[in-house]
Order: sequence, then C-alpha cells, then structure tokens
Amino acid sequence: MNKILVVDDDQDILMLVQVMLSMNNFNVEAVSRWEEIDNAMKVFKPDLVLLDVSLGGADGRDICKKMRLEKNTEDIPVILFSANAEMGNSIHDCKAQAFIPKPFELSNLLQTIRTYVN
Amino acid sequence: MFKFRDISIRNKLILMQVFTSVLVLFVVFGVFIYTDINSYKVRKKDSIVSLANVIGTNSISTLQFQDQEAATKMLAELHNVAPEIIHAGITDANGQVFASYSKPGEETFKIPRVLNGKAYVFINNQLFVSNPIMNNDQILGRVFLEIELSDLQQIKEYKYELAAVLLSFAIVFSFLIALLIQSYISRRLLQLVKTMKKVGKTGDYNKIITDDGKDEIATLIQVFNKLMQQIKENIEKKDQFIGIASHELKTPLTSIKGYVEMLDLMQTEPQKKQFIQKALSNVNKLERLVKDLLDVSKIQSGQLQLEMQEFNIDSLLNETIESVEMVSPTHKIIRTNDCDNQLIIGDRQRIEQVLLNLLSNAIKYSPGENLIEVECEKTEKELIIKIRDFGIGIAKEEQLNIFERFYRTKDLSMHISGFGLGLYICRDIIRRHYGKIWVESTGKGSVFHFSLPIKHSLQTQQTVV
Repeated sequence: MNKILVVDDDQDILMLVQVMLSMNNFNVEAVSRWEEIDNAMKVFKPDLVLLDVSLGGADGRDICKKMRLEKNTEDIPVILFSANAEMGNSIHDCKAQAFIPKPFELSNLLQTIRTYVN
Repeated sequence: MFKFRDISIRNKLILMQVFTSVLVLFVVFGVFIYTDINSYKVRKKDSIVSLANVIGTNSISTLQFQDQEAATKMLAELHNVAPEIIHAGITDANGQVFASYSKPGEETFKIPRVLNGKAYVFINNQLFVSNPIMNNDQILGRVFLEIELSDLQQIKEYKYELAAVLLSFAIVFSFLIALLIQSYISRRLLQLVKTMKKVGKTGDYNKIITDDGKDEIATLIQVFNKLMQQIKENIEKKDQFIGIASHELKTPLTSIKGYVEMLDLMQTEPQKKQFIQKALSNVNKLERLVKDLLDVSKIQSGQLQLEMQEFNIDSLLNETIESVEMVSPTHKIIRTNDCDNQLIIGDRQRIEQVLLNLLSNAIKYSPGENLIEVECEKTEKELIIKIRDFGIGIAKEEQLNIFERFYRTKDLSMHISGFGLGLYICRDIIRRHYGKIWVESTGKGSVFHFSLPIKHSLQTQQTVV
C-alpha cells in the first residue's frame, strides 16, 4: 500500500483528501501544520507528498526545495496544490513533479497521484 | 493639410525660433536698405539741385540778352561735367524752351510733365529736377534736369543680394541654434512622453524619470512620478487583494466541490444522486465565475502572465472538443478540416480557455440546434480558427460590444447566465498572443474567428515589441 503524506492548513480539504485517498487504498498521513512535516517524513516515510503551497507561515515550494537537498527525501515525488493557479509556473524551480490548481476534480487528483506512485 | 498644432513640440520650437529671428532680421534689413537708398537719393538730389543752381546762375545773362546759342553751348558742356544727365533744358519766363540738351542717342528735350510744379521727383531710376532762375527776386525762367540714376539700380541689387545672403545664413544659424536650444526643453518633454507611452503599452509602473529642474516641465515630471508611485501602490494593493481573494474564495470552493463529488460517488439512490449532481454542476459554474473574475482583475492590473510553449494546435483542438462534448451531449462538434498539425507558440492552457469559452458560448447560444463547426484557415503569417454555430446570431450593432466587460446581450428572449466576462478574457488572451478575435454573424448563427501568428511571425513581432 503506497504511503502518501498530505499537507494542507485547511482542515476540511485535508480530511477530504485523506478520506478520498484512503477509499482508494492509499495509506494516508494528514498533516495540517508545516512544523510537523519533518517528523512525519522520518516516522511515516511517505512514497509521495501532496503539499499545499500556502501553509500559513511557510511556502510549500520552499519545503519542496529543502526536501530535494536532503538525501532521505530527495527522491520522493512531490505534488504541489494551490488555489493560486499561477503558482503552477514555478514548480520547476523547486523540482516538484506536478501542480494541481484548487479547486480540483477528485478524479484528476487521483490520476495525477497514480502517475507518480505504483 | 498642414496644421501647426499637429507637429511635434521639438519642431514647433525650432520653427518658432527660426521664424522669429528671420522676421526680426527681415525688418532690420528692410529698414537699413530703405534708409541707405533714401540717403543716397537725398545726396544725389542735393548735388543735382546745386548743379541746376549753377546752370541757372550762369544762364541769367544769356536769358537777359536772349543769347540762345551761348545757353545751348553751356548746356552742351554738361556732357563732360555730368554724363548721367539725359536731358537738360532752360525755359524762359513764359515757359518756352529757351535752350536744351539731350544726351547723344536720346530723344529731344521736352519739359517733363511729371514734375507737376514740384522741385524734384524720382520716377523709376530717374530724377527730375526743376529749379527757378532768379535774378533780384525776379524769376527769369527755369532749369530742368533729367538724370539717369544708373548706379541706384546697382546699389539696390547689391543690397538685396546682400540681404538675401545674410538672411539665408541667418536661417541656417538660427536653425542650428534652435536645434541646440530646443533640445533643452523638448528633450525632457519627449522623455516624459516616451516614458508615458511605454508605461501605457507595457503596464510597467516602475518607470521613474529623474529631473533636477525647477520649471513647469520639472513639475510635470514630478507629478508623473508621483502618479506612477500611486498607481504602483494601488496595483500592489490590488495584487494583494487578488491573492487573498483567490485563496479565500477558492479554498471553500475546493472543499464544497470535493465533498459533493464524494457524495456523488457514494450515492446510489437516483433522486438523491440527481440533487447532488445539480449541486455539483452549480459549484462548477461558481468555480468558473470566480476564475473569470480573478482573470479580469489580473488582466486589468497587467498581471495575467502567459506561459509560452510550442504546441500542436490540432491536438489541442481535438482534446478541447472532446472535453466539451463530454459535458454537452446535446451538440455535435465537427471539424471541417485539420490544421496540418501546425505548431503554435503560446500559452496552451490559455488558448484552451479561449476555445472552451467560444465552444460553450456556441452551445449556449444555439439551443435547439445540434451542430457546431470548427474550421481552420492557414495563411502565410497566421492561423485562423473559426467556430460556427447555427443559433440566434448576433445583431450587427452588438458585434463589437460583446467583447467588452460585463456586456450582456440585449436580446431578452433568452436567459443566459454568467457575468459577461468570457469574451473579454478571450480577447485579452488572443491580443497577448498578437492575434485578433472577431465575430461575423448574418442572422442565422454566428462565426467566431480568432487568429494566432504562426511561429516565425510571432518571433519577429516579439523582437519589435
């Protein structure tokens, strides 16, 4: 079962994605505070990270960049998602695999995730 | 027609300076030439009058003794004394010619009528003098002299030529000086104009002009800088607003949409499923409206950024048509031809947005019909995509307005939802691709056209811009 770490500061979206991915046979860890990411990486060891860009105090793109510099996390695929569609233009800078604008279709999200795991 | 108002400030300043200096010089030269020639005439007249006096004095005795021969002989001497004299004559107290002289080759002497009682008169280049011959307050007769002022003509010509040459030099010099001086005024103005034009075109409000003058132009520049600063601040505020609005509107929408989708997946009871789907389709509608509003805000503040890439227009057309047909099964969208797999440089997502907009409009405005046609036309420089519907059409007077913001059709016979922003956004996207968008409609249905430059011409246009 693939492990997916979801990070979003909006609790409702977090729960939505968590439930949807669980229903589709993913092992999901949901984190709403960016401070908890480091710990989740170490303990949960995700196969993919679904990361919100604006995390109230931190930028998902910076977190993604930081992941690329650390040996343990550099190969983990990252999918960024944000309500600001323009952010999609800057995913190459932080070496994220994909960008999904909010609001998203669940099917689209699922399809994108499946592209990078399995 | 030439209008002084229409020429540039730079040329106006030059023209004004050249005109002023030439006008002043013209007047000055005129006065000089006039006084010069006049004083020459006065001198000439004085010398001829004194000559006439001498002749008069010398002819008193000849008149008293009626010695015509002596008088004629005396006059004949004039040929050596003053060769410019053409005619000379002495009349007696009765006004009869007593003695006369004519320069060889000239007609015989006649009393010049032009004098008409005056002591002297200048006619053309001739001077006529009439001087009384007095003896003890008694008038014995008159001396008439007619002089050819051959050097007057020469002097005039010389002065005119000199004036013309000096004036030409003056024009050249004043032009050169004006060229130098005007740049001081016009350079700053032109810089301001250039910057303003650039700001208008690019929407880059960071342009600030440095100028340390204290005159009105400096004030103008200061006001401009201040305005730029204010605009910049307003745009920053607006950007912040767009950012916040974007996030705050879309985040709850994401939740609603996601949960309703989940409900839709989980629900099997037809009635409930139908309700859920209605909610879902309205959420999607709301999502599109929010996107449109944010796009318009971005367009207005020049923040709509294009992600340029090369893509195949045929595959984009096929994908878009497929996705539209999926949500609108009422209409069949057919392509009448293909675009030879033409490659286009542009923002694929934004062009897709234009296509989606035009296709969904075509469907929206042709209820009861079931066909939409998509045609491709290729010229040397551009690719034109035509989307044809067979619906209600667009009245001629509305055809330009439909691309404006918040424009809604005046045809109230059908209720169409939306803000009226779609075509405005389409027009902006196409314009940013250096293309055009327009509509043709002749009653039955309408054809929306948009053009995109083909690769090579887009590149040259970009270097121009």
